[in-house]
Amino acid sequence: MSNDIVTRMGDGERVSLSAEEIREDIQAGTADAAQRGGIPELTAQEQEQLFDIIADPSRIVSVKPGEEVIVTDDGCTMSFYSGQDGGGVGAPLSRMQAVLTYERACGADTTSLGHSDYSYKPVKPIINFEANDYYNTSMMTTAPFFYGAQPNLGLYFQPDGPCPNAAELMPMGKIDEARRAQEEAAGHLTKDLVFVGSRLADVGLEGLNFDTSGSAGDADFMAALQAVAELKRRVPDLPILMGASGEFILGMHGEVEYAGTRLAGLYPQDQVRIIETAGADIAGVAINTATTESLPYNLARAVTFVKAASEASNIPVHANVGMGVCGIPMMEQPPIDSVTRVSKALVQLGKADGL
Amino acid sequence: MSNDIFASAADAILKGDSDKAVEAAKKGLGEGIDPVILINEGFIPGINTVGDLFGSGRLFLPELILSANAMQNATDVINAAIPDGQGQSRGRFIIGTVEGDVHDIGKTIVVSLLKANGFEVMDLGRDVSTDRFIEEADKFNADIIGTSALLTTTMEGQRRLEVELKKAGLKERFKTMVGGAPVTQRWAKRIGADAFAENASAAVKMAKALLEPA
Repeated sequence: MSNDIVTRMGDGERVSLSAEEIREDIQAGTADAAQRGGIPELTAQEQEQLFDIIADPSRIVSVKPGEEVIVTDDGCTMSFYSGQDGGGVGAPLSRMQAVLTYERACGADTTSLGHSDYSYKPVKPIINFEANDYYNTSMMTTAPFFYGAQPNLGLYFQPDGPCPNAAELMPMGKIDEARRAQEEAAGHLTKDLVFVGSRLADVGLEGLNFDTSGSAGDADFMAALQAVAELKRRVPDLPILMGASGEFILGMHGEVEYAGTRLAGLYPQDQVRIIETAGADIAGVAINTATTESLPYNLARAVTFVKAASEASNIPVHANVGMGVCGIPMMEQPPIDSVTRVSKALVQLGKADGL
Repeated sequence: MSNDIFASAADAILKGDSDKAVEAAKKGLGEGIDPVILINEGFIPGINTVGDLFGSGRLFLPELILSANAMQNATDVINAAIPDGQGQSRGRFIIGTVEGDVHDIGKTIVVSLLKANGFEVMDLGRDVSTDRFIEEADKFNADIIGTSALLTTTMEGQRRLEVELKKAGLKERFKTMVGGAPVTQRWAKRIGADAFAENASAAVKMAKALLEPA
């Protein structure tokens, strides 16, 4: 059997697989997603279409003309000015220059501004400066210009924040105390998200991105949902993108609910419904990439989950195609062969409305 | 009757019920079931199910902690019933998050599952220097040194450990295992670590495999 189709492992290593091996991995990947998420597997025809995308001999692939989708920016401009250890190229640009370069030279569909810590909490004490920077840059951009960061509940636990540290309490068996600490922290987080969002809305914010919501667990996700609802009450016309951080919501608390739904363990098709219920305008989904499995396996999983989420949602679903999610290998600089295959498959087969 | 006890043991672990787990352990021993069989047929299937459910988002951290505690209490009872020299320790595992890295949650879950599966574990916590890993592994007489890194910037600490172990002539004495969100099999191979574990369940499986006689 020849091993002549070059693809990658989930950690980015180049491997050559036979057509039969790729088809087996696609089948295994979609079966795994279906079993975990309680959703349908990709049909035989869809699996064959996915095979064609993966096996395409070209280094770069793309969707057909007319099937292009919007790419929402979640911190792409930071890649210009941050160093290599932060996934960037270290170009000597200011934030404003980076945004304008991304829009004008790279032809970005949307652009965004964010604090270098990429969390909302550190923005609170410097909101006047941040709002000023946002306003000045927004006067020169044409494409939709977001403000984005991660909710990041972890910053509200001691020693970085005011609440007892749930990650220390939990292993000690102090489960009730750990849960109370998370609920208290979630309250602080919601307030900060609403505060920053409101203040930026005052200067004409065009879109707000709660990126990687739930990275610290279900209470983190709940806080973001509550903030979305409150911001929509205060500023109904403010577009909000709320993106998840993994294929299921981590149950670090295990019991928190939103609108009567327990959040822990929700898979993408349920995540997008609850994001929609809170009032967000775009739902972001992130499917975990397994570093020890192949791109065909990981991409088949991602397409299966994204397709189910797209079918379940009434608002646009944008799939996260960053490092280590939705089939993209876990590499600081994701390889273009993988990025384009993942993008094409998620749009054509997963029916993603954007990336 | 044994099957009923095995089922009770597994169910107690799955529900995180320490009292029932200890009760099942005592009942099994009282009926003359071999302690090793009691662990392997009753409690370990229970904790394996817990690991699988946690990995698929159907069981959550608080329940995982309760299950791990129940497993620990049950295995304490069983180990106490085993004559000296036939203890059920699967091996000695020292673990910590590498220097400069303060992430703790994933590593703590690994500790719970290792303990629940019969390993003697020394948890050095977070932000652990290479020298301290080696010093404590020597004192603890560890079989395996496990290092966790959650940042691409701190992964280098895992490589440093391999280099220092080789320099000190200790590489053959300790097996090494690496893990953490940005860590991959490829990285483990590149730095010369003996094993890579993608998650807590995999860490247990790899630790067992590392200590199997050749």
